[in-house]
Amino acid sequence: MDSKGQKVMEVPAGTSSHAQGSGGNWPMPTATTLAPERRRQPRISETPPAPAPPPLLADYEPLIGKGELDELRYLARDLKGKSVKMVNSTAVGGGVAEMLDRLVPLLNEVEVHTRWEVITGGNDFFEITKAFHNALHGGEYHLTPEVKEVFLRYNEQNRQRMHFDEDVVVIHDPQPAGLIRAREGGNSKWVWRCHIDLSNPNPDVWGFLRPMVEQFNAAIFSSSSFAQRLSIPQYLFYPCIDPLSEKNKPLEDSYVQKVCDDFGIDRSRCIVTQVSRFDRLKDPVGVVQAYKMAKRYVDCQLVLAGGGASDDPEGNAVLQEVTAAADGDPDIIILNLPPWCSLEINALQRASTLIVQKSLREGFGLTVTESLWKGKPTIAGAVGGIPNQIIDKLTGALVYSIEGCAYQIRYLLTHQEFARQLGRNGQEHVKENFLMTTNLKRWLLLLRILLQVP
Amino acid sequence: MSTIQADLAIKPLPTAALKPFYFNTSAHLLRIGRERAANLAELLQALRTCSENSIFEHTFRTLQEHHFIREGYSNDFAHWAFTACNERGLAERLAGIDVREFTSVQAVREQLVQIVEEYMRNNPGSAARAAREPFYFCAADTVVLPTPFVARNLPEFVDGLARVTVHSIQHHFIEARLRLQLRSNDFSLWLEEEAGLKEAARRLNRIDIYTATMEDVRRQILRIVEHAKE
Repeated sequence: MDSKGQKVMEVPAGTSSHAQGSGGNWPMPTATTLAPERRRQPRISETPPAPAPPPLLADYEPLIGKGELDELRYLARDLKGKSVKMVNSTAVGGGVAEMLDRLVPLLNEVEVHTRWEVITGGNDFFEITKAFHNALHGGEYHLTPEVKEVFLRYNEQNRQRMHFDEDVVVIHDPQPAGLIRAREGGNSKWVWRCHIDLSNPNPDVWGFLRPMVEQFNAAIFSSSSFAQRLSIPQYLFYPCIDPLSEKNKPLEDSYVQKVCDDFGIDRSRCIVTQVSRFDRLKDPVGVVQAYKMAKRYVDCQLVLAGGGASDDPEGNAVLQEVTAAADGDPDIIILNLPPWCSLEINALQRASTLIVQKSLREGFGLTVTESLWKGKPTIAGAVGGIPNQIIDKLTGALVYSIEGCAYQIRYLLTHQEFARQLGRNGQEHVKENFLMTTNLKRWLLLLRILLQVP
Repeated sequence: MSTIQADLAIKPLPTAALKPFYFNTSAHLLRIGRERAANLAELLQALRTCSENSIFEHTFRTLQEHHFIREGYSNDFAHWAFTACNERGLAERLAGIDVREFTSVQAVREQLVQIVEEYMRNNPGSAARAAREPFYFCAADTVVLPTPFVARNLPEFVDGLARVTVHSIQHHFIEARLRLQLRSNDFSLWLEEEAGLKEAARRLNRIDIYTATMEDVRRQILRIVEHAKE
């Protein structure tokens, strides 16, 4: 308890199991309410669980259908024996590593021999590439000749250490972009996969990187609005989620119930959830305000589940702001989770009646993708890549203000059939466009185009 | 006598079709184009100059990307006019375009250009009004793929139809007219020419793809063909 009596729980990973629960979960009217004092302190796990082995292609069949798998296998058939190298700057942590962790085994399974290599560099290099990352998002940056020299020197060291004799070399993000020098004299096709929002880049940093990028055979962006005017073909690959990952796989309802019991969440009443770091750009305080406005009309609980408050001073400050805004309301459940609590997050999303992602600024917004995939009616800020996922009133509800968010919470909690239809459409939208298997299909298509497989 | 019975009376169902129906499908990779539009005037200019692939992507192909939606979504231009420009009259007119009335992408382009031109003429203030977000023209690189399903008779046709992906339905039922350059589709042609089901073939062409999901379309096709078999 904090000084205001607000319940804030520090929570961990638990045991895993499986099952499906999709669509908004409207409570049964006869169920009883769980009093706050019945909330148990969940078991704390201090270390992440061992990673599960990557799934096989056939494991996806129950989710996407045999026809989709047949298409993938056919697309791969004429690529058998071809080789691909993926290069990025980190083996663990972050969305790119997570995506490669699943994509590389799948490409190998269909006999496209794929290696994943990580560049090395000193702290000075990674400080510069972090600054580049922020600058490419539009931040200020003073690019000096010394900075350029450090960036190019580490890229050159990596170029000399690595070999590039694969049919296709894929460079992820700006950090290893200087490796393009290795293309000279070789037969490989080179692709630059940019995961960053380049819609408003710092001109100095982009001016430095652009001549390198234009030496590639093709570039890939996560949104049309992130693309630049380049002399090379640019492809659109949306980010994706893995439906078999801990965060998204089907769960047994008994496990969902256990997580709710542990966290003191009452499944007999409506549950509105936002899953995100305690970060001002995710506007958790705005979510609390929207919930309070909505609660004048409809009964519900609010779950704010996230992390980032334990190891980040700003995250801790935001958590305190959220706690103050909650003002001791026993129906607001704030969960500060360690990053390995994917199963618990999965269960919380599945237990929810509605999911909110009221971001003020966003990249693509993969938490929205996760919510839609679970068939949940989703309310989200119309920022970043979210409008690619939420087609307003068709696959979810887009909002622009706290008041708008409050209204949509009220509306969707009281119009269940409409909310369920949004959930169903949202799930189909993800299935068609934002799953790992769709991502695999895009890669196979691109390899066929680059290698001129008819 | 019902129209279905009339079919049977004119031409008995063959036990095996002359030519098998090979169910294919297509996969698409999106390429981001050079054109973008920040207002209606720029949209009009880009509509005139963009590749046919772009027109195809934003009218025919987008139906596949959004195959699960029944209402409010017909093509990307209409959607943008509504959501980013708030030009409801234009959005309605653009949404009224039924791609199945066209046998060439060029004809679709001409229709789009005509509608936007007319709207801007009647609403001069609309041309330069900034959209909330730009329209980014894309195009699709397409690969046609076989499926394991081949129909040599009506039961096999029904079986294949029930089991292929919605992408295959889109390929044969909607995109086929560009290949065939006919106001028809692969299913109707086969039903008429190989199975002698002229009325069923005609009824397939009356299915409203804009108020149905692609799964709904599959069910309607199956219902019509099953009915014709009886």
